[in-house]
Amino acid sequence: MRFTMLPQVFAQMLKKPFTNKFPVKYVPRNTTKLLEAVGKGEVQIIPPIETPPNFRGKIQYDKEKCTGCQLCIRVCPSGAIEFKPEEKKIKIYLARCTFCSQCNDVCPVNCLSMSNEFLLADTDKYSKDLIVE
Amino acid sequence: MAEATTKTTYQIPIGPIHPALKEPVMFEFEISGERIVDVDVSLGHIHRTVEWTGMQRNPIQILYLAERICGICSYCHPIAFARAVEHACDIEVPERAWYLRVIQGELERICSHMLWAGVAAHEIGFDTVLYLTWQMREKALDLTEYLTGNRVTKAITMIGGVRRDITKDMLPKIHETLNYFKDNFEKLRHIFLDDKTIKMRSQGCGILTYDDALKLCAVGPTTRASGVKKDSRVDQAYFAYPDLDIDYMTPDKLTGEVNGDVYDRIIVRLLEVKQSIDLIEQCIDKMPSGEIVSEPKIPKLLATFKKTSGEGIGKHEAPRGEVFHYVKFNGESEKPYTWKVRAPTYNNILPWIPMLKDEQIADIPIVAASTDPCMSCTNRVAIIHNKKRTILDKEELHRFSVEKTRRLMK
Amino acid sequence: MVEKRLNPEEIVKYFKDEFKIKIKDSRIEKRKAGAKKQEFISIWMKIDKGVFKKAVKHLCELTFPHLAVVSGNDMGKNIELIYHFSLYYGTRNEEVSLNISVDLPKSNPTIETLCDIIPGALVTEREKQEMLGVKIKGIPDSRRLFLPDDFPKGMYPWRKDETGPQKMVRNLHEVKK
Repeated sequence: MRFTMLPQVFAQMLKKPFTNKFPVKYVPRNTTKLLEAVGKGEVQIIPPIETPPNFRGKIQYDKEKCTGCQLCIRVCPSGAIEFKPEEKKIKIYLARCTFCSQCNDVCPVNCLSMSNEFLLADTDKYSKDLIVE
Repeated sequence: MAEATTKTTYQIPIGPIHPALKEPVMFEFEISGERIVDVDVSLGHIHRTVEWTGMQRNPIQILYLAERICGICSYCHPIAFARAVEHACDIEVPERAWYLRVIQGELERICSHMLWAGVAAHEIGFDTVLYLTWQMREKALDLTEYLTGNRVTKAITMIGGVRRDITKDMLPKIHETLNYFKDNFEKLRHIFLDDKTIKMRSQGCGILTYDDALKLCAVGPTTRASGVKKDSRVDQAYFAYPDLDIDYMTPDKLTGEVNGDVYDRIIVRLLEVKQSIDLIEQCIDKMPSGEIVSEPKIPKLLATFKKTSGEGIGKHEAPRGEVFHYVKFNGESEKPYTWKVRAPTYNNILPWIPMLKDEQIADIPIVAASTDPCMSCTNRVAIIHNKKRTILDKEELHRFSVEKTRRLMK
Repeated sequence: MVEKRLNPEEIVKYFKDEFKIKIKDSRIEKRKAGAKKQEFISIWMKIDKGVFKKAVKHLCELTFPHLAVVSGNDMGKNIELIYHFSLYYGTRNEEVSLNISVDLPKSNPTIETLCDIIPGALVTEREKQEMLGVKIKGIPDSRRLFLPDDFPKGMYPWRKDETGPQKMVRNLHEVKK
């Protein structure tokens, strides 16, 4: 048969599009500021699809529980974690993080966890939003 | 071989970064008219010193580095590496982990073959099929994200097992996705194998004979389509494959004969998608309960690496062929002494030479794409004709391929 | 092509009968998998450089092998090349992995090519030439494969001695405080 795709094409014209619409009409210059504005209610966005449970997003660090054992630094594949010797705590550079969550698995006191934030784009690699300490 | 006549051949260099190829590869074609007389290949334009970087890190860090060797076979490299390290250090993997590893591997195979199907159709000029197959692939990617946390770099391997389990409440979603694929498989098969355009472009084109496939050490669907029965999952006993019902997929299972052309490779890949769906279902039925990793405490694991001295090899059947890793520890530090990676595409590059001789320029994209090389880029082609250089860009080369389809359809 | 299938001990004996003392250290490793405890067998052998090519021809008479890759180790005074072959693919759970290692002294790291017996060995032999400084006699095409043409000659990235790439490494990610 010459036109095997024709039935598909006609069926598609009656269905709704498979993809999601982009959240805002124009691309924002700074994503984190846009998210703050949404939080305050100034800007309306089309909500994105829900992330599944156990999604590996931005890392969260509970400073009180950390004991300074440095195991997370030994397993990090990209060297994104730095040790602060005077306080015995760590500093994580999100610009180098690969979101593998290996540090979560290794930590003996469970002070690291992954949230489901993924809109982290910024123009400055070392800005305050991208350093977790 | 030069022709001893007044007609001279001219040379076209294609590459290093190129349309139908997924890896920056440099070709130089010697052309007489529209016919290809000789082919020369040179590699290495995106060499990233992965092996040297790996030798400065401990095995747990190398798992994540290995994942980023390739985006599409991003599960196969860590698994083969983990298998090699387990061989060298003699670590036993628990039974439940075998089945979990097989499920993730087959899911990745479905995603990869769907992507390939779309790209192959695009090279012929059949863009509607590209959109259809990539839409179906989204369902498989949604399932991957649900099971592992991410769509592409899954980070689910650990030396001695896997990092995440599949619990009972995840099973309904798996069954829903598998049923979706089973229902739509017949649609895909009808589009690819019964369509007159695809048959015209692909039958008789880019033939690789059985002897050439053996001698040039080709791997994966490229060699299975020429009739060589070589598939790591069936040949070797690893993970849970000895307990599952699996067989070599060669084109004579569907059509009864083996030609070794592009059409046969399409058949082999579609049959493999069906086989993967079947394997995942078998695994879910047979999976035993138990531990998912042999050594959950990481510092103890790192200490084991420091004490071992030995070598190990690990192989896995990626969607493109066999992935091979070799690791050697020397007992003094936890970093490996040597690490060698062999991606399947490097063995599949040499067969391009006999496949492309005596073909036309417009067939280059579809023949190269049918062996499914591994990373994707776009760029220009420089043509040297009578000492004048003209540059063709990606759109023009793709246009040649599409125009040939239109010509054949008349 | 019906061939008699040998078990691993017989394969080692096949080589030892032909080459006697030139085969040193051989060992057979088996790893189990699956509920029925099927085995994955790997054989490791060390062969003298002089008889290496005859040994490979001897192997081809037994069954045509598949050459996966050649890996290399820098062991200080000599370079060890390991050729990874696979035999007996085609039947279920019967593949045997044969790894032949050859020692080359650093003062004279030459070895013969396998390209006339197994044409698919071209890519991996070219890689060893540029990465480890091994010279392969009789190779049909000895251009550089992976390294760019302006990479300094005499620098071999996989070696751990003074010809290694230590001088070319730069750490780009260190942040100035």
